[in-house]
Amino acid sequence: MRLSQFIKRVITLYKESAVRGFQKGIRTLWGLAKIVIPVYFIVTFLGYTPILDIVSGLFEPVMNIVGLPGEASLSLVLGNVVNIYAGVGAMATMALTGKQATILAIMLSFSHSLLLESAVANKAGVGLGLVVFIRVGLALLSGIVLNIIL
Amino acid sequence: MDFVAYLKESFTGSMSSVLTMGAIIIPLMVVMEILKDTKVLERFSSKLNPIAKFFNISNESIFPLLIGIIFGLAYGAGIIIDSTEEGNLSKRDLYVLVIFLLACHAIFEDTLIFAAVGANLWLIFIIRLIVAIIISYFAARIIDKRQLVEED
Repeated sequence: MRLSQFIKRVITLYKESAVRGFQKGIRTLWGLAKIVIPVYFIVTFLGYTPILDIVSGLFEPVMNIVGLPGEASLSLVLGNVVNIYAGVGAMATMALTGKQATILAIMLSFSHSLLLESAVANKAGVGLGLVVFIRVGLALLSGIVLNIIL
Repeated sequence: MDFVAYLKESFTGSMSSVLTMGAIIIPLMVVMEILKDTKVLERFSSKLNPIAKFFNISNESIFPLLIGIIFGLAYGAGIIIDSTEEGNLSKRDLYVLVIFLLACHAIFEDTLIFAAVGANLWLIFIIRLIVAIIISYFAARIIDKRQLVEED
């Protein structure tokens, strides 16, 4: 059976699920757009002002340890304080190399939405301090190691 | 500053990012919703007992683990909390599961979104998975050691 036929069969068999998945996709995309678009506008605006340069310069030495430009600190802060989409929105405005984008992505994927997700993990029974320690620790460690080996 | 150029840059840039993400997320959600309804994961879970053995967790932990890896922390934690209340999971199972999922959850969604803004898809995927396996393995060992100490 060809792949396209297989996909068609699955979709006819699970039409309701597919429709529900589509609606969920639209909802997720809407939730994402509501954050990515304003963040993109704000970060681009900051790029026209001296503010972004000042913040970048401030964080440049620390960010160099993980092989990222100073401005990437903005993406890490937004990703951890707001959520992963805000981090991605800020990331989209920056001209990063493949290596930098991968490092930033892995750091953000280990540690994001600290406020909300740590509360979820805490509710499932693991202490808040340990949760934050593991996530931030993994992000820093992976950034340092990847900067060396990539 | 050139305000028109700013608006144009922000608008086209943010729109193209959102559209790329949409092209990834919508098909992914369709596939995941079908996956949920086929109950494939329930059946698949019982075949993954070697994983339970590796971490020395109960076989009942595998299903919530898979759900968390694929569908995300909030959804996975919901099922973990339900299973704990039904008494299917021990405190040790719970710890190992949550620590695994802290490092690695919603793996398809997050990884693909990052790939949309230029990151290497396979590296993120593999590193998250391997790191999650390592830290939860050691977490399991530490818990066992502590319990031995407490029993002494």
